[in-house]
Amino acid sequence: METTNTSNARGHILASIREHLAASREHDEKLRVHGSAAAVVPQSNGGKGSPPAAQSNIELFKTNLEAVNGHCVIARTELEIVHALTRIISELKHTQLNPRRIALSDAKGLERLVRLVAVQIDEVAVTPSSAEMFDVDIGITTAQAAIAETGTLVLDSSRERHRLISLVPPVHIAIVEASNIYSTLGEALSLLQSDQEISPIVTFITGPSRTADIELTLAIGVHGPQELYVIIYDGPPLMS
Amino acid sequence: MNHLTTETFDQNAKAALTDVQLRGALRNATSLFGERRREAAAGLVNWEDLRSHARAIKDETLSHLDKYLEQFVTNAEARGVQFHWAENAADANAIICGIMSKRGARTVVKSKSMTTEETHLNDALEDAGLQVVETDLGEYIIQLAHETPSHIIAPAIHKSKKQIAQLFTEELGIAPTDDIAVLTRTARNTLRDRFAAADVGISGVNFGIAETGTILIVENEGNIRLTTSLPRIHIAVMGIEKVIPRFADVDVFLKLLPRSGTGQRLTAYQSFITGVKKNPGDEGPEEVHVVLLDNGRSRMLAHPTTRQSLACIRCGACLNACPVYQQIGGHAYGSVYPGPIGAVITPQLIGLEKAAQLPYASSLCGACREVCPVKIDIPQLLLHLRAEITEHTPGNAKKSMGERLTFKVWARIMTSPSLYNLSTRLGRMFQGLFVREGKIGDKPTTRIFPPLAAWTAARDLRPLDATSFRDRWRNELKGDGND
Repeated sequence: METTNTSNARGHILASIREHLAASREHDEKLRVHGSAAAVVPQSNGGKGSPPAAQSNIELFKTNLEAVNGHCVIARTELEIVHALTRIISELKHTQLNPRRIALSDAKGLERLVRLVAVQIDEVAVTPSSAEMFDVDIGITTAQAAIAETGTLVLDSSRERHRLISLVPPVHIAIVEASNIYSTLGEALSLLQSDQEISPIVTFITGPSRTADIELTLAIGVHGPQELYVIIYDGPPLMS
Repeated sequence: MNHLTTETFDQNAKAALTDVQLRGALRNATSLFGERRREAAAGLVNWEDLRSHARAIKDETLSHLDKYLEQFVTNAEARGVQFHWAENAADANAIICGIMSKRGARTVVKSKSMTTEETHLNDALEDAGLQVVETDLGEYIIQLAHETPSHIIAPAIHKSKKQIAQLFTEELGIAPTDDIAVLTRTARNTLRDRFAAADVGISGVNFGIAETGTILIVENEGNIRLTTSLPRIHIAVMGIEKVIPRFADVDVFLKLLPRSGTGQRLTAYQSFITGVKKNPGDEGPEEVHVVLLDNGRSRMLAHPTTRQSLACIRCGACLNACPVYQQIGGHAYGSVYPGPIGAVITPQLIGLEKAAQLPYASSLCGACREVCPVKIDIPQLLLHLRAEITEHTPGNAKKSMGERLTFKVWARIMTSPSLYNLSTRLGRMFQGLFVREGKIGDKPTTRIFPPLAAWTAARDLRPLDATSFRDRWRNELKGDGND
């Protein structure tokens, strides 16, 4: 392990922090005497105690995703997933994107479902290299969880190889199981922490890539996908 | 309108006020941002509790910054992150150039980072013969135009789409257009090749989580994800104040930061990076480095008032709310951090002498304090810094003697009814010399008296009414108590 420690910078910075915090103590005391700024750390509610959702998590997720320009389809059987994929891809065929190449993550059972799609696709590649990724038109993955209150997907890349497939192609289609939709951000965060250790990369995705850097005018699809489709699977456990 | 210095703030501001295009752009941007922030904050019932909670977390962290920083480093190192400590900007830049040269790396893709703006990293990389390209759309525009950002979260806010289209036509050879979608697509396509070829990705850090050693970076465009996923080396530059204690604390800050910055519930992407990949075949960089930067931050811990500056989460809300920023924009401040937060951070980073004008670039109206998601009392900080400037700047002792005397006399008059009466009578008697069109304004006679001349140079003073309130009360208003 390489650690730059030019003339013990670490020691100097930590010493400087301690020295200046010590110098502050008399002022901190005065502040306390005057009774202001007594810092009490409230307990983080960890997402608990939020009011019960009026809508179901599925409906809430859909509403919030659509509010940020994402698309959402609900499927109750495997066949409905295949139908949804077919419809999405054939509709895209009639847009400027005209997809020809599709990349899949290594999620269990995903390839089997995509092979059933009834649209002419030139190429289906499972986990292509990062160099090949730039020529892909659609990336299909699953998501490990979702957050209803924000319309957010949670991608844990230690469970699935989807870090680039969900990012580089102009279209991202994600399948998430309804039972994995959490109500709040706080719940999703505690879920991540409940694992033995947090994965090297966890990504939250809320809608397609966006920017407003020119005259604060919204433009969709700057560096990431310009279209995001989420298929919520609300049915019996998927066969693989 | 660029590469201005803090020393000439007064002249910069004057010039900015005559720039019609700039002022129009600022009016649109700051009012839109302000509106969106208000709506987003109103959407949460416990907004005020969240602000207090976030501030309490920051206060707790900063009071034990050494402990939390060491915990963060220990946990991230255990997951394979390589740490580098930089006492100042030059050290940080040297460390980064060093990492690159050791690995034969030549090209860099960069995502938006105010901390690397602070260290002028791009200049250092270019001086070392390395190629660096900014990938955030706003930063990319600024880099093509050889300018600096004028807003913390919208760097190119001062430019119109016409100016940007012209820039793209000149620099990238596209056909003239005023279609924002075309401009955005052009940037995407141009930068794709750079992402594919880059050896190193350099990013900032929004939060460093001590408990888990996680780096959290927040964005909308996806360029940060590309920067931290594609190149074989990722270098994150992080101010030492960016650490927070617990993973659960993320909940509070992710509710406050996007709402305060852009009015979003959540930005499009959050990347939680915890160490390096487990297997060589996994996606993501082979190496993750974090450069921890002090550069004057630890000094700010020495007083509870200045320590607040380190609670800032760089949302930009105080810029949008500030009546001074709304008129002059970011460049006039002549510093990396503009607006109210810039006016308090800059003097502490680069020294009071160089930035002595900035703490005065405020009417102390308190709008910044109202919108700050971590409740930084910016007006209090401004007053604290003004006091320091008055006390410690050599040559100021004489000036402050005069000021002290003036305020002593003022206090004496204001606390004595007879002296007050006498002084207003005298005022009424002589103010005619200075009045023009019903106002005390810029006039040959006002120019004789330095304080009056300074006041009236850019604004008017209301003259005293012909009859004092006391006289009116006695003669007209004070009835017999029946009406």
